[in-house]
Amino acid sequence: MLLNAELYVRDLPGQLVGSLEPISMVDGNIIGVVHDREKIVNQRIMVSVTFEVKNSRKLEELKAIWKSKDIIISKMGSVYETVTREFMMVGRFNATYIENLIDEASRIVKLESTDIGYSSKNLNSDKRTAMITAEVRCREDLDKLDRFFSDACEKDDMLYIRGL
Amino acid sequence: MVRLFISGFGTVGQGLVEVLKRRHDFFENRFGAQPVVVGVIDSKTVAIDQNGLDMDAVVARKTEKRTVSDQTYSDSVKALDMVDYDILVEVSPTNIKDGGTGLRNITHALECGKDVITVNKGPLALKFQELTDLAKRNGCKFRYEGSVGGAMPIINLCHENLVGENIRSIRGIFNGTCNFILSKMDNGQPFEQALKEAQQLGYAETDPTNDVEGYDAATKVVILANAVFHRNVTFSDVKITGITGITPDAIAQAAAHNMVIRLIGEISETRLEVAPRLIPIGHPLSIAGTLNIAQIDADLAGPITINGRGAGKIETASAILSDLIAIMDVRE
Repeated sequence: MLLNAELYVRDLPGQLVGSLEPISMVDGNIIGVVHDREKIVNQRIMVSVTFEVKNSRKLEELKAIWKSKDIIISKMGSVYETVTREFMMVGRFNATYIENLIDEASRIVKLESTDIGYSSKNLNSDKRTAMITAEVRCREDLDKLDRFFSDACEKDDMLYIRGL
Repeated sequence: MVRLFISGFGTVGQGLVEVLKRRHDFFENRFGAQPVVVGVIDSKTVAIDQNGLDMDAVVARKTEKRTVSDQTYSDSVKALDMVDYDILVEVSPTNIKDGGTGLRNITHALECGKDVITVNKGPLALKFQELTDLAKRNGCKFRYEGSVGGAMPIINLCHENLVGENIRSIRGIFNGTCNFILSKMDNGQPFEQALKEAQQLGYAETDPTNDVEGYDAATKVVILANAVFHRNVTFSDVKITGITGITPDAIAQAAAHNMVIRLIGEISETRLEVAPRLIPIGHPLSIAGTLNIAQIDADLAGPITINGRGAGKIETASAILSDLIAIMDVRE
């Protein structure tokens, strides 16, 4: 499990190390640490740590150790790796069409984020271009999204250009 | 002494003659003899000499009269039978509808137990399996390096240097004309103007359909799928999208995202297609101009990128030369 925790530790020497040691004690792996000395609340400083532990049992062990050491856990969340790909469509459509397409796509895969850019109106052509940047959790989802957009473009006579 | 019959005497056929001359000393040192051309056919005429043609004279005549001799023929297969030869070099124009004369000539030569070298994409894209099976049955060498990417060595690289690899995919730019047009569009030229310029420079035919609709790139995708991935596919199995629908708006949108659009052929276990793709600027496949490029994804070696001139008289002949040497090495 890859996680990120925001901890508050007493502003005393040795507290930073003291907050990280428990991760090693549960056989975890520290990925990154930010020690923010300017963020002091109730004489405690904030430590943001990204780490890996084997399973939720190890995570519960870790939380218990932190609690016993008087370390306050203010935030804890999972960190997911995501993959992003661009999809371009060229054809006769309006923004509503693309938004509906994204809605439909979000029922097929979990979209972490999407960004849509449109070309401005062009007097020389009645075709528009939409560039969709989609962020999903795995490559399989990208392939599903690719198939969905590809089928939609074929059905609605649009040119489909996807990223690598 | 190896006897060659050259079928097709346009740019590539004449390029081969020039390359053989340039490599005179090489053949002398490696084999102790020169390959001899005993027969040549163009679209109408045939020139033969069992002792070896004077190729300078044949080239001069072709330049002056546009034929290789006064002797006409009605059936190219019968013309091939007029002389005894060891290797057919089939470089007649590509016909992707039915394989045309090239397919008939290659089939006949293999049936007669001759080795064959070709750069003709039509027969390979339509009848790859049949031709390779026929060659195998008759114990013939059948090589076609120049059919994909011209001078860019991709087929023999995969067959020989990467023989122990599991090649997962090949993605590449296999049509220099489309890449020239798209590169020009990157600079703001509209499609029609870029195409016109490609035609004026001799990169595109008067009828550019085969290039801009992606058919030419698709023939190469079929050849790679069969030759490298050992699939049994033909031209109609490729999902093809050309570049005619790409608008200046699309190019501008891509540029705004630090990308370019390139016509990419892709072959893998699950994909067989030619389509415009969005390529990040700086990625090897974002290359501009008329060059061909391919990225091979191998399981042990990782990604390998090769590029080179996809067409041209001497460049394509260089690929034929490598096939010829490989066959001569085995025959030795």
